[in-house]
Amino acid sequence: MHLIQRMKIWKELRRLEQRAKEQPSPSTFVDLGQVYINLDLHDKAERMADDGLALFPKSVELRQLLDCARRGLRHRRAEELRAKLTRSPNPKLFRQLAAVHLELGDRNALHATCQEWSLRFPEDSGSWVMLGQASLANFYRDLAAREGQEAVQCLERAVSMDPSAGPSRRLLGEVLYRIGAVREAEKHLEALRELDPDDREIQRLLRHVTSLSDGGSDVSALLAEVEAQGSLRHPTPQAVAPASGGDRSVADVRAGLARVSALAGVNRAVFIRGSKAMVKGDIRDARDPFLRIVRVTAKAAHRFARRLDIGNAAKTVVQGEFGDICICVYGEALAAAQCLDGANVELVLGELQEIVAGALHAVED
Amino acid sequence: MSKIQDAVVALRHAPGVRGAAVVTNDGLVAASAQATGLDPEVISGLSSYLMMATNRSLQEGSYGACKKLLLNATHGKAVFVQLEESCLVVLFDQFAEIAEADREVEDAVARIRRASRLT
Repeated sequence: MHLIQRMKIWKELRRLEQRAKEQPSPSTFVDLGQVYINLDLHDKAERMADDGLALFPKSVELRQLLDCARRGLRHRRAEELRAKLTRSPNPKLFRQLAAVHLELGDRNALHATCQEWSLRFPEDSGSWVMLGQASLANFYRDLAAREGQEAVQCLERAVSMDPSAGPSRRLLGEVLYRIGAVREAEKHLEALRELDPDDREIQRLLRHVTSLSDGGSDVSALLAEVEAQGSLRHPTPQAVAPASGGDRSVADVRAGLARVSALAGVNRAVFIRGSKAMVKGDIRDARDPFLRIVRVTAKAAHRFARRLDIGNAAKTVVQGEFGDICICVYGEALAAAQCLDGANVELVLGELQEIVAGALHAVED
Repeated sequence: MSKIQDAVVALRHAPGVRGAAVVTNDGLVAASAQATGLDPEVISGLSSYLMMATNRSLQEGSYGACKKLLLNATHGKAVFVQLEESCLVVLFDQFAEIAEADREVEDAVARIRRASRLT
């Protein structure tokens, strides 16, 4: 690149950096990220997208920027791994490269890598697991029998080459029970339990699978049935679990807000996640300025802390003639309260922290 | 100006304080004393943004101005005290108790206000 051209780009970069700092908006972050991508600085673009998403979590453009930056990083990683493989080929590097291709969704490159891998290291079952995973992802997305058949064949081959390998057996067991080959799946899950008797997840999965009805062992017929029906025969244990987490979370948050607003000196309390808010006390409606103050301050504090590399802004207190506005943030959840004179701010912050931590815990459940 | 700088330097020596600065509302550094690795320009830009964003939302809601803002992050803490046309920013390490440096912060605020009136 010409020197003057390069200088122009750096000047433009500085201008955009300043703009993103002074007028943060999705478009300012995207513009800056795009310049970074054009300069092959994908890591900086990724960081820019992360920062932007922290402030504007619903921005589609910022998600696209993040996706683009990550793809760029993966392409670079693939090039590095390919160069290393040319110098000194080993199964570990092949696995890493195949994983990058899998993440990129580059089926042709994945096939080429796995082909070379199995030629150089015919005893290693890893290439078949990777190919199985790629086909499996497509099968779960499109429910095409051909992809399912390919996935099952690759995974069966991996299991036959290395019967003690957990991942291939697990993937195979899962796809088999989901298409209806329950008894076949049980064999693999039993083998997995014998390999690791303390694995609770496998025990839970096995309990779930044994409770399902068997559709036979003709995998081709079952796959064709899935394709014709357009749906898998059996759901995952997570899908059938009672959806009590969200309800419990709402009840806990409501109780927490009631506790906070009952504290001496507290006149309003709010819990916010995304665009939804739950309020208690002196708040008129969704356009009440208190909600905006809390959101704006929490975002600005978050940005301040992230940019200064001091982590996430967990607690913020704004003091003024209006009293103290206490804000607690944890992940996407935010709880805040306005305290007048005489309120115990530490106690209020403690209660707010309980609310956001509880809400997040319920989501993780 | 050197009196303001002196006040900031004195505050920097308080327990747990990693840096202190006086920044104007438009983001310029008036005085600064920071631990190595902290860039006063970055701190002033971010502090100005935080205080302006908070004050703007408070004013839009007819709440009045922010006098002080305390921020507790995972790996550090910060206190912002609004002065007339500027703001005192104090950065603490994550293990510091902000309340323990209250007296030093108040002393610094008083000194800066006095010095500002004189200049």
